[in-house]
Amino acid sequence: MQKQTELLWVEKYRPKKIEEVTGNDEAKVLFIEWLKNKRHTKKAVLLYGPAGVGKTTLVMAAAKEFNFTVIEMNASDTRSEKAINAVAKPATAYKSLDSFSDGTNKSIGNILFLDEVDGIAGNEDRGGVNAILKIVEKSLVPVIMAANDPDIGKLRPLKKVSLLVRFQQVRIPLIIALLQKICLLEHVKAEFEALERIAQNSRGDVRSAINDLQSLSGENHSLTLQDTMMLHSRNKDISIDETLRRYFSTQSIADTSSMLAFSSVDYDDFLLSVADNLPKRYTDTAELARAYEYASQADMFRGRIGTENWHLLKYFFNALAKASAVNPQSYKPFTFITPPIRIITLFWTKNKRNILNNICAKIGEQCHVSVETAKLTFIPYVRLMLQRRRNHPIVSSFKLTPEEVNYIVTMGRY
Amino acid sequence: MTIILNSKGFKLPRLEREKFINLMHLGLDYNRNTMMFSINSYNNIEKVIDELSIILGDDIVFHQSCVRCGKAFPCKGCNYIDVCTTKNLPFSCVCSQCLRDRKQFEEYLTKL
Repeated sequence: MQKQTELLWVEKYRPKKIEEVTGNDEAKVLFIEWLKNKRHTKKAVLLYGPAGVGKTTLVMAAAKEFNFTVIEMNASDTRSEKAINAVAKPATAYKSLDSFSDGTNKSIGNILFLDEVDGIAGNEDRGGVNAILKIVEKSLVPVIMAANDPDIGKLRPLKKVSLLVRFQQVRIPLIIALLQKICLLEHVKAEFEALERIAQNSRGDVRSAINDLQSLSGENHSLTLQDTMMLHSRNKDISIDETLRRYFSTQSIADTSSMLAFSSVDYDDFLLSVADNLPKRYTDTAELARAYEYASQADMFRGRIGTENWHLLKYFFNALAKASAVNPQSYKPFTFITPPIRIITLFWTKNKRNILNNICAKIGEQCHVSVETAKLTFIPYVRLMLQRRRNHPIVSSFKLTPEEVNYIVTMGRY
Repeated sequence: MTIILNSKGFKLPRLEREKFINLMHLGLDYNRNTMMFSINSYNNIEKVIDELSIILGDDIVFHQSCVRCGKAFPCKGCNYIDVCTTKNLPFSCVCSQCLRDRKQFEEYLTKL
């Protein structure tokens, strides 16, 4: 088992009671009132607000305090109607078996928690939102959803059936107060100004503030304003070019790892950029192969991190740092490829993809299939038919424009 | 001039029916016995403040309540007002005295 001292402070001080959740007291009251009320006027609740303000933490703390069993689905990962139904239907249609136990387990029932619902596919895709709507209508247990951006169109139907609870950025004095508490419990002698700087730098994100406190206070259990100077980098929003330059020119894994920890670049874009630039960095094929091996490990950790397992971030940084330090002595400055080739390609092919999506939407409407099915199974045959005869009756049947016909006939791959 | 309100209860002049309904839709509550308004939902708090400013004909700010000492205090004078995204809105906070006073902080921790 992991020792207490090795634990990330974010995990160690994760609130176990509702009152321990920092900030957003008004939202907490509204949510708890809804959860305690057995005759809900709204069957579901949608918690929304920026990342790191305590939405998921509040749900987990409340479930623990009221003895609910949480059936959690990260909606960003599970998008299809089938997948949602497979997990959510049994969880909401029956009472928890725990409630019939001999009393050793005190669970009073299930809660269905759908995190990051703004990542769910809309009607046009696979009916994810509709699946949730049906579950909310028939659910015998409380359904809780969380989202960062509630204003996207596809969430409109969910908003209608849900009680909306807005979360705000946590205020700086509240973050400072929390950091003071952690410092006291961890025996860290911290200057007030240092805590002030960490809190301001976090921009209302409690998680990142605690991570910064842990990484800066180090093993000597002291923190001065001087120690927090590195935090400038996150505020300055260093460009991806500058981050790449530093990444490839650092001499040790530890330096690279620490530099990445204080960078504010998008991790996915950065990983793509690293992959694009590795052949320029390593001319030796054996070194390049090792670097790609580490980059693929970093990619694997990024996938596991998803949107909530941020405690794995250090492994992501570590693997990525190893890719830059396969042979530190061989570094020679070179011109970077940015933005990542994949993003440039997506940008240049946006119009083409739009045309194809429009064609597939028309086919889908006529043949009662999804856009994706039309793309995979119909387009190859339509293409063959139109290559033989451009004015084939299928053109009028699908209401294709001459531009669309031309696109299908000349398209290289689909 | 700026009018300072307490989110737990404040009085407004007599309102037209439409304005009253609008405020209720935006998340205010009205207690007939005390004839006081209070905030029930904070989802549209910015719109509530705009609406109240129009009704009262002045800028509106709300008192903050300190989670440590329970005191009500205004945002004016706070060191972080420039970077705060919820300044003058009625949310819980920590007053500057409690934040700086280590003794008071330790007393607060022992109470928990």
